[in-house]
Amino acid sequence: MVLVTSVRDYINRMLQDISGMKVLILDSETVSNVSIVYSQSELLQKEVFLVEMIDSISVSKESMSHLKAVYFIRPTSENIQKLRYQLANPRFGEYHLFFSNLLKDTQIHILADSDEQEVVQQVQEYYADFVAGDPYHFTLNMASNHLYMIPAVVDPAGLQRFSDRVVDGIAAVFLALKRRPVIRYQRTSDTAKRIAQESAKLMYQQESALFDFRRTESSPLLLVIDRRDDPVTPLLNQWTYQAMVHELIGLQDNKVDLKAIGSLPKDQQEVVLSSEQDAFFKSNMYENFGDIGMNIKRMVDDFQQVAKSNQNIQTVEDMARFVDNYPEYKKMQGNVSKHVTLVTEMSKLVEARKLMMVSQTEQDLACNGGQGAAYEAVTDLLSNESVSDIDRLRLVMLYALRYEKENPVQLMQLFNKLASRSPKYKPGLVQFLLKQAGVEKRTGDLFGNRDLLNIARNMARGLKGVENVYTQHQPLLFQTMESITRGRLRDVDYPFVGDHYQQGRPQEVVIFMVGGTTYEESRSVALQNATNSGIRFILGGTAVLNSKRFLKDLEEAQRISRSGSHMV
Amino acid sequence: MATRNRTLLFRKYRNSLRSVRAPLSSSSLTGTQSGVGPVIEMASSSLLNPNRSYAPISTEDPGNSSKGAITVRLPPAWVDVSEEISVNIQRARTKLAELGKAHAKALMPSFGDGKEDQHNIETLTQEITFLLKKSEKQLQRLSASGPSEDSNVRKNVQRSLATDLQLLSMELRKKQSTYLKRLKQQKEDGVDLEMNLSRNKYRPEEDDFGDMLNEHQMAKIKKTEELSEEREKEIQQVVESVNDLAQIMKDLSALVIDQGTIVDRIDYNIENVASTVEDGLKQLQKAERRQKHGGMVMCVSVLVSLCFIMLLLLILKEIFL
Repeated sequence: MVLVTSVRDYINRMLQDISGMKVLILDSETVSNVSIVYSQSELLQKEVFLVEMIDSISVSKESMSHLKAVYFIRPTSENIQKLRYQLANPRFGEYHLFFSNLLKDTQIHILADSDEQEVVQQVQEYYADFVAGDPYHFTLNMASNHLYMIPAVVDPAGLQRFSDRVVDGIAAVFLALKRRPVIRYQRTSDTAKRIAQESAKLMYQQESALFDFRRTESSPLLLVIDRRDDPVTPLLNQWTYQAMVHELIGLQDNKVDLKAIGSLPKDQQEVVLSSEQDAFFKSNMYENFGDIGMNIKRMVDDFQQVAKSNQNIQTVEDMARFVDNYPEYKKMQGNVSKHVTLVTEMSKLVEARKLMMVSQTEQDLACNGGQGAAYEAVTDLLSNESVSDIDRLRLVMLYALRYEKENPVQLMQLFNKLASRSPKYKPGLVQFLLKQAGVEKRTGDLFGNRDLLNIARNMARGLKGVENVYTQHQPLLFQTMESITRGRLRDVDYPFVGDHYQQGRPQEVVIFMVGGTTYEESRSVALQNATNSGIRFILGGTAVLNSKRFLKDLEEAQRISRSGSHMV
Repeated sequence: MATRNRTLLFRKYRNSLRSVRAPLSSSSLTGTQSGVGPVIEMASSSLLNPNRSYAPISTEDPGNSSKGAITVRLPPAWVDVSEEISVNIQRARTKLAELGKAHAKALMPSFGDGKEDQHNIETLTQEITFLLKKSEKQLQRLSASGPSEDSNVRKNVQRSLATDLQLLSMELRKKQSTYLKRLKQQKEDGVDLEMNLSRNKYRPEEDDFGDMLNEHQMAKIKKTEELSEEREKEIQQVVESVNDLAQIMKDLSALVIDQGTIVDRIDYNIENVASTVEDGLKQLQKAERRQKHGGMVMCVSVLVSLCFIMLLLLILKEIFL
């Protein structure tokens, strides 16, 4: 909640002191930051009558000096160049510049140089440099996410850019929260270590005056971890509403693009799934598919009641009441058809890809033991014609991650079978995954078979039985959060940066996952926060993954590693 | 949330760069004036900078005359229309507050007839409805033709005013309906009270003469007739107001954004605008091309040349004959 509120407050402050008609100019990243928390109707209330991208604004030559320009952009060198040109040939009456992160002095100098007409009224830094999609979940929407898997020697410039963007995002989050954290990182990940150290340098040395906030009794904790410690979660199929929509259809900035599904009315081709604006979604986003079905049916019944009473207009009072309630009725109708469309579409996909069968095996692979039975199950599914290529790949990957060391012969057989059944499969991808995220590379106890305590817990769970086979998986993040809550996060595995130290438990924890988060993990964080354990967790990542995106990142990284090794 | 103000640093850089730039630019004037150079430098620099809307009249260096001379152009004409509409909306809002007070006053028990309160309420309601209808008609005028950035601004101004109008009309309806409900309740209570009184008076006289009974019955019938007439008039009023405002709401609902839908997303609006602007541009280009190669132009030019030739022939005929 606090991140969403911070971004909204920043935007409100930008717009409130400037009177008159305004035009808001954004770049390709800040447009996501703003659109996800602020609506068009709210902008109109603030007298912002035009919203443009900084790329397209130079094209037109119309002068609109009755408008005041409010720029909200990232301080990248490309944006500064575009801004230079626009300041030298100003189209608007006044220019108010807001940057979403720290400006370098040279950049200010360049801008001052090009402002010959003296149209710039203010230059401010407002640190809303992240996409705050849910109350406790943010992302940086980075395009070249795969770079975290590549060793530094292959593409040092690219990795530096990646690391800079992440550090900028983390700094913005803490500036918005007005806190300076103690930083820990996952020991086995070079990328995480680098990011942790550069963040510490920024917050404690380079800009230490800016980060010098009022100290509270316990400093918050920033924990930088690597996706490769838990490669299982992004590969699994999901059955809770928000995660399922992202896995099967795709959720981008809280929008779902349904254009690929033909024969939908125009206003349902793209829909918004936001817990802030949609009360039904807010209460159902973490529920599993069966419960959602029942709740939607209830909602449809309620709506049909209302619709029937609307058709039953007898007296004048009824007519008046109908006209009064019409906007509400229209909104309800739109909402009901949106959810019905989504659930229908997802049911169709589940049916077509036989996901009930596939997912059961996936959950078994992730949660329960038994190598022999697992091998049988996977082989059967590989032979099944109706299982799609991507599902076959996922099954083999999950098997390989779990039984990497047991029975290499059978593992090899699975690889061969996969290559023969799936023509589009790029050979060596599973092995690449094992190289990146195999059992030697991982810190955490992913399958609960290292730590004695975890083994005992798993056995107890097996005896008790699970409520729902399809949602039995707990992401590794859950265990990490539990360790933090108990104050038992091991220094050996997650060391502090430099000479940072923390006494006792932190009250606020920001976990940043390099490589991306998943909606299953954000659900885990939200549920953990709801237990009021005294610690507030916030989760962030470089992107929000589903299995398609994770596999794409893997392929991209594999391609670069191959070409890199050829060069070396 | 933390922010940092860089305006001071920016202004410092800008000022220092300006003083560096000004002597440089005036030294680009013709070299023959180098003797009196410094004096002219000072003069021209003071002309160039302070007053932004003042266009310096230096004739020697036309290149410099555009610097520092931003002419603040007047906003386009439709801005006046939009300002008029918002003024009307403001006026309607104040009248609505007055109406609320008048309603409250009319509902209070009073000794008078209540007729002038009624009259006041009616006039106020009519004025407000008139203002709303006028604003709505003016709103349609704001619709722009052709894709351009200006048309997007117009569309957004339209939407914002439409939302305000819709909220106002809904408020008006709500006020009216609560007033009518309370009024009806009061009347019913009043009628019940009267009925009770008359019944109490009636009973002890039941055994009286038939004439008295008839009189009472006649009085009761007349009263119920009056009541039903009044009820009908009120219902008529409600129907009229429902009709008026329903029409306004229908027109407005096309313009107003539904909150929470995709249309309310900023990024969706940017993408759509880009595509419609592009489409519009393509259409314009197509039309231009078609017009150039169009048969019409050919026909016209052929006909005009024929006319000239005929005229020439006529003149020649006159000359030779």
